[in-house]
Amino acid sequence: MATYDFLFDKLGLRGWCGEEQGGGLSSMADLMGQAGGESDTSLWELPFPSLDALNDACSSVPQSRDLTRGLERGFLDIKDSLKVVVDPLTQPLSWALENALWIMQSVPWWIMIPLLMLITWGVGRSGKLVALVAACFGFLAFIDFYDHTMQTLAIIFVCAFICVLFGVPIGIAMSRNDRVQKALIPVLDMLQTLPPFVYLIPLIFLFSVTEPKLYGIAIILYAIVPVVRLTDLGIRLVDKDVIEAADAFGMTRRQKLFGVQIPLALPNIMAGVNQTIMMSLAMVVIASLVSAPGLGVLVLRGIRSLELGVGLLSGLGIVLLAIILDRVTKAALARINAEQKS
Amino acid sequence: MSDESKISVCNLYKIFGENPQGALEKVRAGMGKAELQSETGHVLGLNNINVDMPTGKTTVIMGLSGSGKSTLIRHLNRLIEPTAGEVYVNGENILDYNEHRLRRLRQAEMSMVFQKFALLPHRTVLENAGMSWAIEGKNRKQYAEEATRWLNRVGLEGQGGQYPAQLSGGMQQRVGIARALTSNSDIMLMDEAFSALDPLIRTDMQDLLIELQDELSKTVVFITHDLDEALKLADHLVILKDGFVVQQGEPQDILLNPNDPYIEAFVSDINRARVLRVRSVMKTTSDTPQEIAGEVDANDTLESVIATSRGDTTKNYRVMRNGRQVGVLHMRDLVRALVPRVASDASGEWMLEK
Repeated sequence: MATYDFLFDKLGLRGWCGEEQGGGLSSMADLMGQAGGESDTSLWELPFPSLDALNDACSSVPQSRDLTRGLERGFLDIKDSLKVVVDPLTQPLSWALENALWIMQSVPWWIMIPLLMLITWGVGRSGKLVALVAACFGFLAFIDFYDHTMQTLAIIFVCAFICVLFGVPIGIAMSRNDRVQKALIPVLDMLQTLPPFVYLIPLIFLFSVTEPKLYGIAIILYAIVPVVRLTDLGIRLVDKDVIEAADAFGMTRRQKLFGVQIPLALPNIMAGVNQTIMMSLAMVVIASLVSAPGLGVLVLRGIRSLELGVGLLSGLGIVLLAIILDRVTKAALARINAEQKS
Repeated sequence: MSDESKISVCNLYKIFGENPQGALEKVRAGMGKAELQSETGHVLGLNNINVDMPTGKTTVIMGLSGSGKSTLIRHLNRLIEPTAGEVYVNGENILDYNEHRLRRLRQAEMSMVFQKFALLPHRTVLENAGMSWAIEGKNRKQYAEEATRWLNRVGLEGQGGQYPAQLSGGMQQRVGIARALTSNSDIMLMDEAFSALDPLIRTDMQDLLIELQDELSKTVVFITHDLDEALKLADHLVILKDGFVVQQGEPQDILLNPNDPYIEAFVSDINRARVLRVRSVMKTTSDTPQEIAGEVDANDTLESVIATSRGDTTKNYRVMRNGRQVGVLHMRDLVRALVPRVASDASGEWMLEK
């Protein structure tokens, strides 16, 4: 009695559908319809010929929940073989994260904070910036968030480093070959627009929640996009005249890449690194859902047990961290710009 | 001619578009640039170019924008690949070169100066000047002396530590020239090298180039859209229009005998007294005639000689170059040269009679 009965009758597919009246599981809407008696479906209420609507008319057509279930089953089927490949490949990530977390937490604060200030000075050469870093870490330590902050920072350092390690070469490959660029842009678009939570779902199936690489991979996938994109863009934007001069004086491709293209693309690449760091900070908070340690855990505690104060303070901590990371990378960027433009 | 030419371009065609070989057939069958574009969508860049560029001389390729002059110079070091034809450098067809040999050619035998300077902004002036050495794997210490020598020669003493952006346009182009000279290559390609500069600085740079040429005698290929500049620099002038050579030869000769309305139009606006030089009007001889009113330089313009002679057409001058006599200038020849060909057709008879 379903709307699309006629379709299968006309096409002569009734036999393929099996029994005359579709038995089996009936949806809630079916039951409601039967309860309300025979209804004349007017054109206004014509349902879209979706899987469920077609299933009503012919039980051989799968329902939409079969589709999602099939997807799940498919993933579970390849999971084990996938794990054999992916597990050893990503094991170094776990080690790196574990060691970074251990180092950042075991170095005493009176070494760590001055060290971070020293790095800031090395990168930015600005006294103000160093003071800002000292004040922020001082404040976070003062309210007993020191350990959590260091955990977050350790994760970001490792993940951002790996993003640059892979992202810059991928960006270079994209800039040198239009076909690679065309193939990778949809992938990058997808990585960038896929809601961050969605990354976590298949990863949870693949890895145990106790393994740091679970959140490491999620962060890297999410944060690698800007550095790839901006490396590609930066190299493509290098002045054509300068490239031509490099060619005219007989530079090899390698000399051109390392002597001209990368140095001139550096401002853009650094802008990408800045974005990558900011995005890994955003993701590290979400990744606390899958056992990533750090300030995100406190945010999560604030939500779970409605501890308003903890949630707000840890949120503030993340903001401070974001400001520091942003300012420091931007200071580095400004110095590169100044060197080239002056 | 071709024995003493450093670079020879033979039957060179360049067509831009989807199917250049197909379009080439049509061009060889006589299709013109506009027709080819409207019928097939292909752009005819160069159409059967044959040019011999003499060793140790300055060849100027002149044309308006879109005439293909920049395309042509980029064929000489294969920055652009031709559709058909040959380019001989030192007697070897460079189109047969593999990638490695081509790089050697660009590193050691040719250098190039660009309209927009194209210096490396992240390297110092000294490092830019030593670029060709650095490409060959030499370090800063090895090329510093040579690079500094040429920087000094082009008038950039003590600027080696600066970055290009800290210099003015004219100084940046001096770095560009020093970069080309430091490579010690015989051939220097100059693509509208002075077009982006202010008129006064441009004149300075032209003078610098002429000085350097007197000293070094490199084979210079110079691109310009400026006839005055072309006439000032050229030993051999090639005039391009819509991708083909309209006329080529001794510049003063082209000025005196234009063979095409296009060139006549170009030439008619020229102040001939200011452009024509003593060397192209004088009689080459080492004999000293009896009545000498004075000495003039071979590169003096006719204008300055007229000023010296105060308009007296009976005088003779001894023509000097680098302190040696190279010829004799009769003022009557000078005045004759000032009349454009169109006008001289009517009055030529009378002039000859005299």
